Amino acid sequence: RSHCTRGGGRRQKQRCEGEAKSSVSVPRGTCMTMCPAYELRQRELQNRLHRFEVLTGTEHDRLPRADVSRTVKEYSRPAAGKDSTRATDLRPPDILLKTVYYLVDDIAASSTLHPWTEVYSFVFDRLRSVRQDMIIQRISGPECVAVLERTVRFLLFASYRLCGQPLRLFDSCINDTHLQECLSWLLECYREGQHQHQEEFQALSLLYNLGSAQAVQHVLELPGSVRLSPPVRLALAIGRAYVERNPVRLLRLARRLDFLQGCALHRHLLPCRRDLLLLYSHGHSSRNCRFPIQKLADILSLESSLTAQLCRAHGIHVGGEWVIFSKGSFTESLSEELQCAQMHRLLEDKQQDLTVSDIIHGVA
Amino acid sequence: PSSRIKMAHITINQYLQQVLEAIDTRDGVFCAELLSFKHPHVANPRLQLSSPEDKCQQVLEPPYDEMVAAHLRCTYAVANHDFVEAYKCQTVVVQYPSLGGSVQLNHLFFFRALPVMFAVTLDLRIFANNAEQQLLKKGKGKVGDMLEKAAEQLMSCFRVCASDNRAGIDDSKKWGMLFLVNQLFKIYFKINKLHLCKPLIRAIDSSNLKDDYSMAQRVTYKYYVGRKAMFDSDFKLGLNHISPEDYLSFSFQHSHRSCQRNKRLILIYLLPVKMLLGHMPTNQLLRKYDLLQFADVTKAVSEGNLLLLNEALTKHETFFIRCGIFLILEKLKIITYRNLFKKVYHLLKTHQLPLDAFLVALKMMQVEEVDIDEVQCILANLIYMGHIKGYISHQHQKLVVSKQNPFPPLSSVS
Repeated sequence: RSHCTRGGGRRQKQRCEGEAKSSVSVPRGTCMTMCPAYELRQRELQNRLHRFEVLTGTEHDRLPRADVSRTVKEYSRPAAGKDSTRATDLRPPDILLKTVYYLVDDIAASSTLHPWTEVYSFVFDRLRSVRQDMIIQRISGPECVAVLERTVRFLLFASYRLCGQPLRLFDSCINDTHLQECLSWLLECYREGQHQHQEEFQALSLLYNLGSAQAVQHVLELPGSVRLSPPVRLALAIGRAYVERNPVRLLRLARRLDFLQGCALHRHLLPCRRDLLLLYSHGHSSRNCRFPIQKLADILSLESSLTAQLCRAHGIHVGGEWVIFSKGSFTESLSEELQCAQMHRLLEDKQQDLTVSDIIHGVA
Repeated sequence: PSSRIKMAHITINQYLQQVLEAIDTRDGVFCAELLSFKHPHVANPRLQLSSPEDKCQQVLEPPYDEMVAAHLRCTYAVANHDFVEAYKCQTVVVQYPSLGGSVQLNHLFFFRALPVMFAVTLDLRIFANNAEQQLLKKGKGKVGDMLEKAAEQLMSCFRVCASDNRAGIDDSKKWGMLFLVNQLFKIYFKINKLHLCKPLIRAIDSSNLKDDYSMAQRVTYKYYVGRKAMFDSDFKLGLNHISPEDYLSFSFQHSHRSCQRNKRLILIYLLPVKMLLGHMPTNQLLRKYDLLQFADVTKAVSEGNLLLLNEALTKHETFFIRCGIFLILEKLKIITYRNLFKKVYHLLKTHQLPLDAFLVALKMMQVEEVDIDEVQCILANLIYMGHIKGYISHQHQKLVVSKQNPFPPLSSVS
């Protein structure tokens, strides 16, 4: 009979015990600056500082100096042989939150740093590094929630602000991936304890994930106090309008959203408007009938010139003040020129006097 | 042929001898029983040992000694109601049937090991569930953590089965695939990660054995796939090539007559699907399967009574949400609109219907905040879906319907 030496039960038991021991020693960061000293020196020497991190006056030196008050730990991919758990390289929760505040107030909300695509890239990366520190140290609790909430608001805002930017400057897919990750993590945090902004974010999750049965199911299983809160009720109502396929109702309800909620819903607006035109093309299909453009513009929440453009792009006949719907002539394909970015008026109106700082920290 | 002594009273040595005999005679079924928590031996205090390793080593060859030792440690843990420990032991047990052919093992693990695999993986899932419940009660642990880990182990077993390309189809481990897939479905549905079902469905669909598995396994499989299809298309039923109605109907029809509980469970999902297609269940059926929660919903939809529908959905909200069908039942509103508007048509006896009439009807149903624009949209959608034959004239504020069959029967509209 052959002897098997692999996968010994005894060894497995020991491994289990060993695992239990190591889970006690979770890394605890001791780095009290936004960037660990080691990394700062390294990047300085290798000329890998970001221009936002460079000490004023040294920008044109052969080796620009780092401004310690503005250098932030960057995200680095975990790699074999790289120890990411050194305490001196990890920032504790309060420093992480301070870092996020800096990134929001001094970078994202800055009126002098341009272009915003570069601001976005920098903040995106540095926020990712903050999350990495949180993961390594298994941080949960109020600082974690505060960090994640601001990250979600930032990414939502960016998805609207940079809509229409070329791919090399802003990748909406990557933004979406990270947004979903942060939302999931945040919603997971909300499972325990009380959280001041939970309703806000449950609603944002619903709006962002319009049409997702799983997102709605998740909310339906929440305690009544959250489920019945105004933002969640509105988000659910918008979701219902979507499921019932009533874009008129959806767009009407959307007018009640605040700016950030609008950002969350924003990527669904153009498809929703398109759907309305599709339904009306079938529902109002008659050669003898005309539909007033102004009315159409009202229910689409668009200016009439853009409404006319959108109709033409979908093969809908536009004649002066009227359109003529016909189910045969509606075309799905959208011509290149018509971008979502042109149709942002609904959201611009909501933004009004809000500063970027207000938006990301959350207006009280 | 082995003599099966009263399992609840045998000694540890007698038990181990039984195991040895099962292995020697390649009796996979009996071996499975000796490792299964459905079998009475697990209640035998003489077998509930915290350190049975030495005893096992004396009688059994590796790796069976360690596998059985882990099993016995598990019975000890279960006797102490420590399901977290039980789960840990069971993970040790499960790794053996999942070992691939590259290891020089005793032939039991090549032939007829499937009953063993079935028994130990089932117990793994059950213990993962119990362990999670135990942790949650203590305020520790997260829902899904242990189940996800269990799923990983089950996936290893699945991969071993799926990759069994040896000749001799009778003994092929491929026969284990559907059982394991069903176990995995149960976990994925519990932890709400339905997307993980997709590769499994693909694997089974492309398998040449798919129609040859036992009916019980196929019924379970179709039930889960049907349920998943309901959520997949985010309720735009019919866009997926998997028809939830077909799958769930199959499941319902072929599930065992005597198993009322299973039939009821399938019906919970089949009913909404059928109702969306215009097939309303009879009260008789609902009573038979104790599903009277659907009775008011059915009545409301048939009558076009939106008010009653909203009341019914609210009244049984908890039940519908727990089952995960609340959302699909909301889709019935469209059918309800159709039925309500059909009544308006019959009332007014004209094929040029003022839009206002529909608005009045909705307001009578206490539908909140609806205006004439939304009415137009509801009508446009019904026309688009084929529920109404006609067109809307905005200028005349009228719905002009076909003189022939303007409200085609629901079943004829796909």
